[in-house]
Amino acid sequence: MKRNWQIMCLAFVALSIVTLLLSFQYPYHDRLGPGPGFFPFWLAIITAALAVVLFWQITFTKAAPYPENRVLPNREGGKRILAIFIGLVVCLFLLDPLGFRISLFLFLLVLPLALGVRNWVALAIFAVAGSFGVFHVFFYWLKVPLPIGILGI
Amino acid sequence: METLQYWLQGFSVATLPINLMYSFIGCVLGTLIGVLPGLGPAAGTAILIPVTFNLDPIGAIIMLAAIYYGAMYGGTITSVLVNVPGEAASVITCLDGYQMAKQGRAGPALGIAAIGSFIGGTFATFALMVVSLPLASLALRFGPPEIFSLLLVGLSLVTGLSGRSTLAALIMTLFGLMMAMIGMDPVRGAPRFTFDLPPLYDGIGFIPVVMGLFGVGEILLSMEAPVLEILKTKLTDLFPSRSEWRVSAGAIGRGTLIGFFLGLIPGIGAVIPTFAAYVMEKKVSKHPEKFGTGVIEGVASPETANNSYANASMVPLLTLGIPGSPTLAVLMGAFIIHGLTPGPFLFKERPDVVWGLIASLYMGNIILLILNLPLVGFWAKLLEIKYEFLYPGILLFCILGAYSLNQSVFDVGVMIAFGVLGFIFRKLDWPLAPTVLALILGPMMERNLRTALEMSGGDMSIFITRPISAGLLIVAAFFLLSPGIRLLRERTGGGEKE
Repeated sequence: MKRNWQIMCLAFVALSIVTLLLSFQYPYHDRLGPGPGFFPFWLAIITAALAVVLFWQITFTKAAPYPENRVLPNREGGKRILAIFIGLVVCLFLLDPLGFRISLFLFLLVLPLALGVRNWVALAIFAVAGSFGVFHVFFYWLKVPLPIGILGI
Repeated sequence: METLQYWLQGFSVATLPINLMYSFIGCVLGTLIGVLPGLGPAAGTAILIPVTFNLDPIGAIIMLAAIYYGAMYGGTITSVLVNVPGEAASVITCLDGYQMAKQGRAGPALGIAAIGSFIGGTFATFALMVVSLPLASLALRFGPPEIFSLLLVGLSLVTGLSGRSTLAALIMTLFGLMMAMIGMDPVRGAPRFTFDLPPLYDGIGFIPVVMGLFGVGEILLSMEAPVLEILKTKLTDLFPSRSEWRVSAGAIGRGTLIGFFLGLIPGIGAVIPTFAAYVMEKKVSKHPEKFGTGVIEGVASPETANNSYANASMVPLLTLGIPGSPTLAVLMGAFIIHGLTPGPFLFKERPDVVWGLIASLYMGNIILLILNLPLVGFWAKLLEIKYEFLYPGILLFCILGAYSLNQSVFDVGVMIAFGVLGFIFRKLDWPLAPTVLALILGPMMERNLRTALEMSGGDMSIFITRPISAGLLIVAAFFLLSPGIRLLRERTGGGEKE
């Protein structure tokens, strides 16, 4: 866990440097007072300083603020996490072209399948109710705008 | 007299059949959110915001508030029956609640939690009615320096009290503030850090971030060990015995007071009041060694404090416009979506909303009591839903909620990205609450800081020459520095021993 905390500190230092460099694009001060660059400039400097102090604390002192548990998930857990992540990303890219109903139908059909469900009747009912059913309730009854794809569904 | 009129106005709004129905629906949905693993009150409330889009603002806010405090109770059910807290505030309930369930006393544990929650919530609502008007009047006197210092107190509290490392919590707060800078500059109105991407002109949506960090992130984390073992126990005799009542009465009283007073402090979060109530109960108990083995006070006190806190934490939100926890920040977002700005002006501009909401908390507490005692068995049944269907189902509502706010696929992407970040931060045990609060308070903080500096011609001493601001800064410094001082003292003490 120590290594992961160190990486996290370095990531925040990097983020701070990027923010600091970007903050120079905006005026630090204008005729009315502090400009748009004022807040990001100081935020970046303070964040970088704190990340460096935390890195130093983890690396060079006996203080161990980090937990000792395992970071990487076990093999089975990792597969399930990956399945959900891929499912979400694919759904994200399908949402606009295919619309809510079809993309969510596929999401709700494939994801439980990937997680191990083999009961096809339950899968079909779940996918139809979760996509077409939920769309009907939110779009028509609750008047919540949802995407309709190129197929008009 | 004026206050009494407002109270009556509030009750006339809250008791309208339509608002009672919203309160009821909110309590049901809230309890459901609390019961379902992988869905905490913050993400749950955020997901359900679209349901309220076409409601009138009062109905919408009443329903979302009911979801919030309903979820606070719902979390108890999983703590007692599965030994898994439905939300963070119910962690401590696992200790004695689960032990009681193992001894076949799940009924009294859930019963006393429901009754304690009702008493704590009702007391806190009454106190909220009494203190909110004077506090709102006081807040009207605050200028930009005082507001900035007050926001700093809120952020320093949530920073100083969360996580295992104050430094990590501080970095997370600053990360939230950095995210808040994306979009329009809150003072000059010019785009900043938008990289010419139109969706970024409105900034990073706060609601998709909450759904990502607390919804998607939690589900990804749950995927490591998704199967819950539910205790097979009979849920009869929900009412505690006479001897259990005797020991619980004092615990409920103490839990109510602790929850209420800690709820007044913005940024303290729901976990600390429950832990404080439990520790207090252990201290006053004649048999502290029995705590953790299934004593009813160990359930009664934190559960009462939990709901007392939930209602009292509305005080800083309604009177100062400062949310004390991620869930309240979502509620604040809902206010804004419905064209309302929480804070002292709301008391003048829309007393019907403020007092209607406060009065609805009474109704909600009664509804929760009626709902939970007879329906405990039903809620427990929901825990048997297979995770292969449950988690995709929750994700469906996350996608729907994130998209429908701005009809933007970009927001769904933000949710997924923050879901992954939430998973990583949780694995590393870096606190998420400071990021969320900083993200919503960031623009307000920057606006007041810069306006204060414009007032003083760039002179920073404006923050310490004004007494209220100076006092608030001292409080903020205390909360930020106290963990460091405590650590230093422990080390010095340790060194002497060695």
